[in-house]
Amino acid sequence: MAIIHTKNIIKTYKSGLVETSVLKGITLAVERGEWVAIMGRSGAGKSTLMYQMSLLDEPSSGEIYIDGTEVHSLSEREKMHFRLFKFGFVFQDYALMPELSALENVVLPLLMERLSVDEAEAKATEALKRVGLGHRLNNLPSQLSGGEQQRVSIARAIAEKPEVLFADEPTANLDRESSGTVMALFKELHNEGQTIIMVTHEEEYGKMTDRIVHLDDGRIVL
Amino acid sequence: MSFFLPLNLRVGWYLALRQIRRASKWTTSLIVFVMVLTFLNLVAVTGILVGLIEGISNSYRIQYTGDVIVSALPDKSYIEDSPGVLKFIESLPQVTAISARYLAGGTVEANYLTRTDTSDKANQTGAQIVGVDPVAEANLTGLSKYVIEGAYLAPDDYDQILIGARILEKYSFGEQPGLTPLKNVVPGTKVRVTIGSNTREMTVKGIIMSKVDQIAVGVYMPEDELRQLASINNYDLSQIAIRLAPGTDAAAIRDLLNRSGVGDNAKVRTYIDAIPNGVADITNTFAMLGNMISSVGLVVASITIFIVIFINALTRRKFIGILKGIGISAAAIEISYVLQSLFYAVLGSGIGFALLYGFLVPYISAHPIDFPFSDGILYAPLPGTLLRIALLVATTLIAGYIPARMIVQRNTLDSILGRN
Repeated sequence: MAIIHTKNIIKTYKSGLVETSVLKGITLAVERGEWVAIMGRSGAGKSTLMYQMSLLDEPSSGEIYIDGTEVHSLSEREKMHFRLFKFGFVFQDYALMPELSALENVVLPLLMERLSVDEAEAKATEALKRVGLGHRLNNLPSQLSGGEQQRVSIARAIAEKPEVLFADEPTANLDRESSGTVMALFKELHNEGQTIIMVTHEEEYGKMTDRIVHLDDGRIVL
Repeated sequence: MSFFLPLNLRVGWYLALRQIRRASKWTTSLIVFVMVLTFLNLVAVTGILVGLIEGISNSYRIQYTGDVIVSALPDKSYIEDSPGVLKFIESLPQVTAISARYLAGGTVEANYLTRTDTSDKANQTGAQIVGVDPVAEANLTGLSKYVIEGAYLAPDDYDQILIGARILEKYSFGEQPGLTPLKNVVPGTKVRVTIGSNTREMTVKGIIMSKVDQIAVGVYMPEDELRQLASINNYDLSQIAIRLAPGTDAAAIRDLLNRSGVGDNAKVRTYIDAIPNGVADITNTFAMLGNMISSVGLVVASITIFIVIFINALTRRKFIGILKGIGISAAAIEISYVLQSLFYAVLGSGIGFALLYGFLVPYISAHPIDFPFSDGILYAPLPGTLLRIALLVATTLIAGYIPARMIVQRNTLDSILGRN
């Protein structure tokens, strides 16, 4: 069974009297353990689709099933729980809290999952070591390079082994070497069975995935 | 209530602690400084206004009435069974000093030797004349310390008086209806003192100055002198001022004296009971004024905290969106801001509290503010101060919570993407 299944998702934004359709009926299934790249031109609706699937946004119409549960009727609080317990997020601009150290950034969502501080720190340390930052635990984001910050972000996303890892343009702000490191990490995670849905505009990294979903003008194109 | 779930509190605390620890030291110091000033404004404005009046009470107690004062019943001119009452008071272990006084209304005339025309108005003024044991009075009220010119009385002084400065032209508050200040009176000047039909020429030994009216416009002489002049042939006292051991409740001693029968022969009052009526009204009015001024300070402080937290949350809107995006509850994020506000309020109040009781209150007590009618102190009773701290903390919490909630409750994705 697909871990995420969307049926005819439509997303429309209204600005005054003008209505803009960003997604025009997307039906997509992502299997457990699959690594899917969503690609397309700017404005094609890649990120918007990812936001719908990751419950950061709500479609104007259509259905989304996560692990068999139809999520449209879920409350905000239930959606928050889904994001906390089932998903991991990696954003283009790392999205780390500037006043928290690398370790603390990873610890925070683990605390929300009711882990004790000791347990959370142990898991966070393990995740940071895994992304090669075992020696930078106590550094603030401002003391880390872009590549290192993105690796902290990945550590935060994978620390509690999410069912789906969402990555929105994870290499867009990185140099080539750092991008390579991040993609190698994704590959390693995927090899261990991690489901990954990644938005990217770089063909080279798209090719590393199991499947590329091309979007154009709000529709999936072959 | 889910807002106060231990989980939200724990995560909120974790976030708040680190945000405070890594915030700009200058910004934090500035906010805490504002909170200290607000706290002092809350306590000190009222404290000084009320302290002005408390200063009057204090002066009254220290310089005139003692802790408890026994005086004649309203329809009597002396304390009945004065020796018995005095003996009973002296027997109380809580009593540390007593001054027994004879009072009489009289006049004092100056410049009679240089008066050439008997049709001219005499340079004469009415005054309350007090007969005391100079040693006991000095021991109880420190009257000897208020001599600003000349010298204090000795028990065996004969024809010598101390005169209140405010009835002398040199120290009076100017022309006042019904009061004729005495001219050219200095220590050594002879004046005529008249009580009833008896007049005696006496020498001014010293001039006394106090912010307590009874002293500033009074005339003091040794008790035997007054008894002679006023033709008091027994020991019918007018007043007994009593100083109690530190920590003794004056009201309890008043009640004890009343119960033991002294109340049947005399009027027994604590120094608070004996303060002129208007003083309590002024205290209440000043307290209300102080509270009004302080509440403006409170509003300013709450607006300051509101703006600080609002700007802080607004500039972190993206991060707040991300936190919500990765599954941190809105309540935990709001709590982190409320805790930051709490930190500012508690630290500000704490420093203010230390400053108040460690420095301001003792300093102003040792160096009272010199008002014409009182030695002003900073009146800051602990329960009132604690109430104000609670008020400041509560206001700050609300002022921190509202802007945090305004930002945190915005759409998560809009916050992440910086959309309005």
